[in-house]
Amino acid sequence: MKLNRTSFSAAAVLLASVALPGISQATVTVLGWPGGSEETALRATVEAYNAQSGIADADKVELLFFNRDGFFDKLQADMAAGSDAFDVNLVATYSIGRYAPYMEPVDLGADAGKVFGESVLKTMQFDGKQYGVPTDLSLHFMYYRKDLVDALMQDDAAKKKYAEIAKEHLGKDLQPKDPDSWTWDDWAATTLYFSKQVNPESPVRYGTVLQMKNLLFNMMVFQSLPRSYGADWTDKDGNVTVDSDAYKTGLELYKKLYDAGASPKDSLSYEYAETNAAFGSGQAATALQWNAAAADLTNAEKTPAVAAVTGIVAPPSGPKGRADHIHGLGLGLNKNAKNKEGAVKFLKWLATEDAALLYARSGGSPALAPHVAAKVSKERPDLVKLGEFASQYGYVMNGATSANALSVYELQAKEFTGYWAGQQSLEDALAHTKTGMQDLLKK
Amino acid sequence: MAIVNRAEGRAYLTPLVGFLLFFLGFPAAVNLVYSISTVSFETLRSPSLSGLGNYAAVLADREFWGAVSFSMRFGVLTALAECLIGLFLAVFLTPLLAKRSYLMAPLMLPLMVAPAMIGLMYRLVLHEFAGPVPYYLFEWFGDSPAFLDVDNAFRTLLVVEILQWTPFAFLLFYMAYAAIPLEVREAASLDGASALKALWWIELPLMLPTLVIAFFIRFIDGFRVFDNVYALTGSGAGGSTTSLSIYIYQAFFKGGAIGKAVAASVVLFLASLAVLYGLNWITGRGRR
Repeated sequence: MKLNRTSFSAAAVLLASVALPGISQATVTVLGWPGGSEETALRATVEAYNAQSGIADADKVELLFFNRDGFFDKLQADMAAGSDAFDVNLVATYSIGRYAPYMEPVDLGADAGKVFGESVLKTMQFDGKQYGVPTDLSLHFMYYRKDLVDALMQDDAAKKKYAEIAKEHLGKDLQPKDPDSWTWDDWAATTLYFSKQVNPESPVRYGTVLQMKNLLFNMMVFQSLPRSYGADWTDKDGNVTVDSDAYKTGLELYKKLYDAGASPKDSLSYEYAETNAAFGSGQAATALQWNAAAADLTNAEKTPAVAAVTGIVAPPSGPKGRADHIHGLGLGLNKNAKNKEGAVKFLKWLATEDAALLYARSGGSPALAPHVAAKVSKERPDLVKLGEFASQYGYVMNGATSANALSVYELQAKEFTGYWAGQQSLEDALAHTKTGMQDLLKK
Repeated sequence: MAIVNRAEGRAYLTPLVGFLLFFLGFPAAVNLVYSISTVSFETLRSPSLSGLGNYAAVLADREFWGAVSFSMRFGVLTALAECLIGLFLAVFLTPLLAKRSYLMAPLMLPLMVAPAMIGLMYRLVLHEFAGPVPYYLFEWFGDSPAFLDVDNAFRTLLVVEILQWTPFAFLLFYMAYAAIPLEVREAASLDGASALKALWWIELPLMLPTLVIAFFIRFIDGFRVFDNVYALTGSGAGGSTTSLSIYIYQAFFKGGAIGKAVAASVVLFLASLAVLYGLNWITGRGRR
């Protein structure tokens, strides 16, 4: 019996030391975004923070990760239960309002604005208060095939065909243009021209790859189109304006392109990964896709078919100019943190230029002010474009950081995909969305 | 004379009842309270009672009935197909498996894969630019159907589910078929029964309890489907592939409508209970 007890105790100690190597000494626990470049960058940054001579043992940072799948659902359950297992937690622009009741605002100091720019800091704000340090920014690039567009621009017969297709399908007189000066109509005409179903002579099967799966993130990709026509979720008085002409134009254009065969038939089940695979196969001329795909789509080892001929520009323009959805991942303060002082100290440090540059050099994707981004332009040229697009075209819809922002995206995804799939009319889809949004945004 | 008296029976049952009360009874009680409350993630510990409004909201929700319809069709069709194919395979392959039992292992392989992984696998297999199926269809016929568009998604999901779970039905039927005493078959043969007649009048009736059980297990599994559907199509364009489990998950986590989601789960629980009682009644009648 004594032996059993001894063995049991030894096993327990062994297990505890293996399973909880850091937590036993952890003083500021940070719950980060698991997997991918964000985790790698955060690990390197935290290591540098802990190595600083001025950081007391009591303020050293330990990292905590759990699975990406259902991350925000699990986080919500944890925070609602009043968990103090972490002092600092991940937060995203579209979920700040949902987690704000369980978090505390942080004052990052005046210099944070100089490092990130005010529009980027805004991605971590709710009710005018700063809830986190923006660590990684996501927006969209228009990826296109330089070789195909160049060939089109130099071929008179192709230009004639392009003009005929634009007239027939869009009812407009258009000529091929440089992608950086595309309007959405120019882009649409290009995608139709490069679709076999419309133009059997097309060198590729599809003109674009639309992400049309019933998935909230696909609404973020889509909404820059109506936004450039002036769309917003609400007007300044808080009235829902999703039934605007701008939204109608965007939704109709997507459906027109899908029905015409400009995007793969299975586009209604496509999201990030499928779009990368389609564009990477060399069978699509354009793709509006997340900036995170740039590294793969321009890497000759990962995407040999198109890496050398992939061009990147900001999304096309509409009557109200160009618009690019931005949202950020960041780190903020848990209301139930055990070591608030240490956590705030870490967050303030994370918002300094040195920390942001270190995070960028370690593989993260922070949106940095132009003069800061210039300091890492050699190692991370993509961050220059990221910062440039974010500051010039970045926007956050009214209400998109509210407590029910995610639910609004979910609702839009369901109703809009229902319209694209032909299950309901545009008017019904917008009416259902408006009613649902009124309910969600008033809560 | 009873093997154990009433007092001893109670004593033996106490741990089980305690276990059930603690691990099932407590969450069930909380669920019942939530289902008649206004509750959000902020007020999980202090829900305010609001009557049967959540049940009314669920029963008036067209999406709920859409999800019920999807789950019902999915459950019935997959259970039927799996049982029919499983039965055919059991009868057809029994002589072969009697001699080469090692063939059973590859037949059981699909059961070893988690449904979510199956969903992800088919996302790849059916992808127009990365999947082998569309690749060969384009090679041979110059075109490939949209497996996951709104018209075909339901059929594709059915096939994926059936391919994974038919081995389960087959396994049960094979064991039941192989367990039929040889003397019974010999007697039927001596009486001049053809193989088909022996199957219809002797073997199938003997396998009936297994057939019923397998059908209901597969129906329940199909009815509450979540993983592979969620991985493959999510809730589908316009919510066209929303199963009841996906409906509850989305209402709870995505919509934050906790009371409504829990009310839907209570409705599902009651429906399941009715099905189980039905099953019990059918099998009990069979024994009599």
